[in-house]
Amino acid sequence: MTDRCEETLGVGLLCEGQHDPGVPPAGLRRSPSGVDGLTTEHLIINMGPQHPSTHGVLRLIIEVDGEEIVAVEVSVGYLHRGIEKLAEHRRYDAVGTLMDRGDYVSGMMGELAFALAAEQLMDVEVPRKAHWLRSLASELNRLASHLVWYGTFGLDTGAMGQFLYAMREREALLDILEALSGQRMMFNYIRPGGVVADMPLGLTEQIRTFLSTFDTYLDEYHQLLGGNEIFQMRVKGIGTIDRQMALAFGLTGANLRAAGVDFDVRRARPYAAYPELDFEVPLGTTGDAWDRYIVRMGEMRQSARMIAQLIDGMPEGAFTAKVPRIIRPNAGEAYASVESSRGETGIHLFADGTEHPYRMHYRGPSLFAAQALEEILPGHLIADAVMIVGSTDIMLGELDR
Amino acid sequence: MAIDKFTGENSIAFIRSEQLFDFARRNSLWYIAFGIACCAIEGLMSASGPRFDFDRMGVFFRNSPRQADVMIVAGTVNHKMALTVKRLYDQMPEPKWVVAMGACACTGGPFREYPNVVLGVDTIIPVDVYIPGCPPRPESVQYAFIELQKKIARRTEERLAARNR
Amino acid sequence: MRPAIADIERLLAAFEETTVAEETPGVVARVSLADVGDVLAELKSAGYESLVDFDGMDTGELIELTYRMRSYSFDVELFVKTTVAYGGTIESVWYEYPSALMPERETAELFGIHLAGHPNPKRLLTTDGVAPLLRKDVPIRTVEEVRAR
Repeated sequence: MTDRCEETLGVGLLCEGQHDPGVPPAGLRRSPSGVDGLTTEHLIINMGPQHPSTHGVLRLIIEVDGEEIVAVEVSVGYLHRGIEKLAEHRRYDAVGTLMDRGDYVSGMMGELAFALAAEQLMDVEVPRKAHWLRSLASELNRLASHLVWYGTFGLDTGAMGQFLYAMREREALLDILEALSGQRMMFNYIRPGGVVADMPLGLTEQIRTFLSTFDTYLDEYHQLLGGNEIFQMRVKGIGTIDRQMALAFGLTGANLRAAGVDFDVRRARPYAAYPELDFEVPLGTTGDAWDRYIVRMGEMRQSARMIAQLIDGMPEGAFTAKVPRIIRPNAGEAYASVESSRGETGIHLFADGTEHPYRMHYRGPSLFAAQALEEILPGHLIADAVMIVGSTDIMLGELDR
Repeated sequence: MAIDKFTGENSIAFIRSEQLFDFARRNSLWYIAFGIACCAIEGLMSASGPRFDFDRMGVFFRNSPRQADVMIVAGTVNHKMALTVKRLYDQMPEPKWVVAMGACACTGGPFREYPNVVLGVDTIIPVDVYIPGCPPRPESVQYAFIELQKKIARRTEERLAARNR
Repeated sequence: MRPAIADIERLLAAFEETTVAEETPGVVARVSLADVGDVLAELKSAGYESLVDFDGMDTGELIELTYRMRSYSFDVELFVKTTVAYGGTIESVWYEYPSALMPERETAELFGIHLAGHPNPKRLLTTDGVAPLLRKDVPIRTVEEVRAR
């Protein structure tokens, strides 16, 4: 088996017996050795980079025994475009454009992470209103991002209707975000020191109109997909990531909370306006794909709750601090992390006193979720692979960076 | 000449078979669902969503390159991806068209300085329509498809004109 | 949030050349390259269950590696830093922390260092022959190169 892996792919998969440093730690399952006395042959299937269910350009090299997955290699890098390198050649107010294109479905959170990291090294007091606008933008964007996940997760199971409903809601959200920032997807709205613009007139009413129907619609959507018996049968009990495994693989966000770990960066390391907001952190129990679905649906409900609080309590005042036109933070090192739609987005920033960052590291939560697939997928049927990949909600832009 | 009894219009057209084929082709431009990066959300997902609804123009996605007429290159192509793009293009049956969507597919866009990024997808495969923008709005993609339809219609006329010459 | 420095010092007392200090991002323990594997094993047994982040930084002379550890039980975070020379070799910590599997490959590839003890030590993001792109001595394309496409 190992020989064939190497022959076919020119690589070594995580096969039994190869590069084995000993007994794996408890809780980590190794791939079964497969052949049971019969001379059956394993098949190697290449899934991606062009595959409608890999949410981008993820490539999975799957070794199957009949219909059962024996080993998986996750191959990434098809969208590697040097966000970290190019950030070293951008000014501080322009790095946000790159962060938008990192996690491109929820760009606000990437911008916010970078702005928080840069502010740690700047002598700047961010006004209270900027904090609230940042939280508002993040939560609106989280809803838009989760709706994309909801729509495409259903598509992975073969359902189509919920995708159209999700896109309808998302268009309403994008209209709000466009009114706020001027762009539909690549906002560059949150900059070091504050935000770019105040809320335009009439946006509060627009958000209220959206919220007035959203909760009802969310119940309907949950009934439409989660209430479907076929969907439940396909999703329940697959792709279980228990607590130990989630921690070992560094999962964050909904993937971690589905395993029952109560950790949300918004709650545990509060930033922006979150300390003043009232929200709950939905938790799962077993950590299977169904739990991840339930946790994300719960997060959408909480986001809608937070948006209502944010527009009701929006303070008066300046929306940005006085920052120089060319930002030159003090030399030093900073680490800031935010709760993005997919988990903990972290920025490790090294500044050297010039107008460009010296080094910026972008921690994409999807990278950690994707490498856990190598451990989760073996043992499942090949039809479940698509569901498990969809349930982890990976985003290739921040995976390859 | 036959008059349709419901609409009262002329319901029979006398055209050459190749004109008929091109008429059919330009009104059912099926694109391959191949999203590379950010533009895929706007150009492929919002496009098939309810607001923009490309389906009414006969534009719909197919998951296999062998059933597709158009390839929307929606995103940054890097050197690792370039081979796959070329291979998918080769698998599509003739006649086929390519839409380079967004700044990245046109020229490399915001990532053009990175040595791993291909400077425009037209260095790998021939491109028919370029859409500027980062990302372009779905309306731009719609306009690109209208331009593509015009291009196909023009091609028929050119071919007929060349034969009559 | 931040662990007490005395606790970390007591924990890592067995390792010489270890300094623990409070810096801007948090509590940072600087250890020598040879000790990293043992230090992380020690930290894991002390309750730091998760390796949240791993990255490198080119200082111009050598490469500084940062391991970001988190204990969910005690809700504390710790940065462990070490340095490696250009073209040097780092010992993989995947056996203690499987979350290091891909970040280690990425760092090794983009900074031009080697991995030892890694189950799959090949390139992650780029194709063969691409220079270590995140190193400071590897330039990006100039304006002329971009225009001359």
